Amino acid sequence: MALLVLPACLLVLGLLIGPMILMFRISLNHFSPTQLMIEAFSVDNYVRAAQDPYYQEIILTTLGMALLCTALTLVIAYPAAYWVGRLQSRWKSLVVIATLFPLLVGNVVRSAGWMALFTRDGLINTTLLKAHVISEPLALMYTPKAVVFGIVAVVLPYMILTISAVIESIPRDLEDAAANLGASAMRTFWRVILPLSAPGVAAGSILVFVLCMNTYATAVLLGGPRFKMMAPAIFDQFVRGNNWPMGAALAFMLLAVTMSFTIFGSIAFARRYRVR
Amino acid sequence: MLASNAPLAHAAESGQVVVGTWGGDYGQLLSDLIDKPLLAPKGIEVLQDVANADPRKTKLLAERQSRRGSMDVACLSDSDHYLVEATDAFEAIDPAKISRLDKVFPELRTKTAIPHIYSAQVILYNVNQVKTPPTSWADLWDPKWRGRVGLADILYPNNTIMAALAAGGNMSNYDPGEKKLMELRSLDAKIYPSNEALAAALKSEEVWLTSMWLARGFMWKKAGIPLSHVVPKEGAVSIVFEASVPRNARNKDGGFAYLDAMLDPKAQAAFADKMGYVPTVSDAVLPEDIAKQVSLSEADRARLLKPDYKYHTERMQRTLDFWNKEFKG
Repeated sequence: MALLVLPACLLVLGLLIGPMILMFRISLNHFSPTQLMIEAFSVDNYVRAAQDPYYQEIILTTLGMALLCTALTLVIAYPAAYWVGRLQSRWKSLVVIATLFPLLVGNVVRSAGWMALFTRDGLINTTLLKAHVISEPLALMYTPKAVVFGIVAVVLPYMILTISAVIESIPRDLEDAAANLGASAMRTFWRVILPLSAPGVAAGSILVFVLCMNTYATAVLLGGPRFKMMAPAIFDQFVRGNNWPMGAALAFMLLAVTMSFTIFGSIAFARRYRVR
Repeated sequence: MLASNAPLAHAAESGQVVVGTWGGDYGQLLSDLIDKPLLAPKGIEVLQDVANADPRKTKLLAERQSRRGSMDVACLSDSDHYLVEATDAFEAIDPAKISRLDKVFPELRTKTAIPHIYSAQVILYNVNQVKTPPTSWADLWDPKWRGRVGLADILYPNNTIMAALAAGGNMSNYDPGEKKLMELRSLDAKIYPSNEALAAALKSEEVWLTSMWLARGFMWKKAGIPLSHVVPKEGAVSIVFEASVPRNARNKDGGFAYLDAMLDPKAQAAFADKMGYVPTVSDAVLPEDIAKQVSLSEADRARLLKPDYKYHTERMQRTLDFWNKEFKG
């Protein structure tokens, strides 16, 4: 039976762990503008990045955006997930496909659509100007707000599908029993549905948080050149600056922050709901 | 059996050339003017590996230790080419394999690349909004243009050079440009992620002035944006788009044949007509109206500045860090 996991393990070892070991080795090297990489065993890149206020701010921005987008996605996704989970109709599979539909469009293409809406002469500004609601076009593009809209739109299906799968497995009888015992719909939600769907909320939130932390295309296309998250900053070092050691060090710092928050969040969440 | 198959396999390989190039108009024109009319009749099939310059440069650097690379021809700008060339990643240009090398302007020749097309960094301005055209880079710092100067993020090295020239620096000293860039920031200069986004902002008149390649200005004028250009009195930085054969190319002969075809006079003239870039060979004749729009006058040519590649490359990390951390920060 253990052999069944072998192909997946080999794939992960070969294509994830292998390159990560290589990247970690690169992150310990020194950078030279002419020789590009000088072999070394030094944590200088990590120290420099950790002490640089520029990267401190980028990490905080990335973390803030990821937490905000995860929370917003959860609030928006939960009612939809509940509806999908409880839906008993022959159209249910179509609804699930419709939920998945945004994932069929790539991030870049989706962002291009948002750009058509948000630009100075985009649909929103043109409509508002024509309706005389505004006299000057609003600055919608290249703002953190635009990035939040973009990210939430990208990750929403993941949250909906993860939570709805758990809600589907919660017997409807439990809600009826709670109502029989006099619980209001709100009380039933807080005391019965939410705790029972907690594993779905946790899994969805972790998935979405990790995706948000690694946002690249949406941050670049909708946030503009002045808005920086970690993935574009890593790209800058690797590709624009040719500074692979610094790029690799930043990548590991992003990984460390993402993992710490994911593990810490999971433990806190599990404790919270075990108590209840 | 193996022996009889070997020549066939070799023939198939020698008939294919992989060209690492930009997509869009550039890639399309290469395909229309070089791949199909010049190389297909010789039995060479061209495959384009389309990407922006940065990923291509990174790929060349990553692959340089490999025995077999993924490209037979790599197109890069002169500054990027210098960086990759310094790692000994390119074959030397062999005059025996490039019959048209003697037609190339001598000042554009390099050891490991052929110059394909070139242009210069100039000031573009909106003719409807800017009634008194600027004459120098320093004029972009005039407070009357507050919030109306737009810059492309991807051209950060050239934007830094522009600021350096405006502040009295030169091609071997960009340092004065840093303070000058911060002044431009306080004048609310707008930054756009790509040249295309900048073009859209010029079109919607969100910004009126920019620093850009003359060739891009030509294309944008053709697209209906009311622009004109000025060669600033401090000088216009030249840019040459070059092509090389990587040392680990699988089909070096095919690569050199491609380089030779890129110097074809008709193809070069067509690049000028469609994209506004100036030919690099002496026998490519441009129609007078096109020449007037894309070429530089004798006086302007005298103000053309060539990058100090060594200085430019060695300073690149500082240039990028300043641009990201201070100017955009």
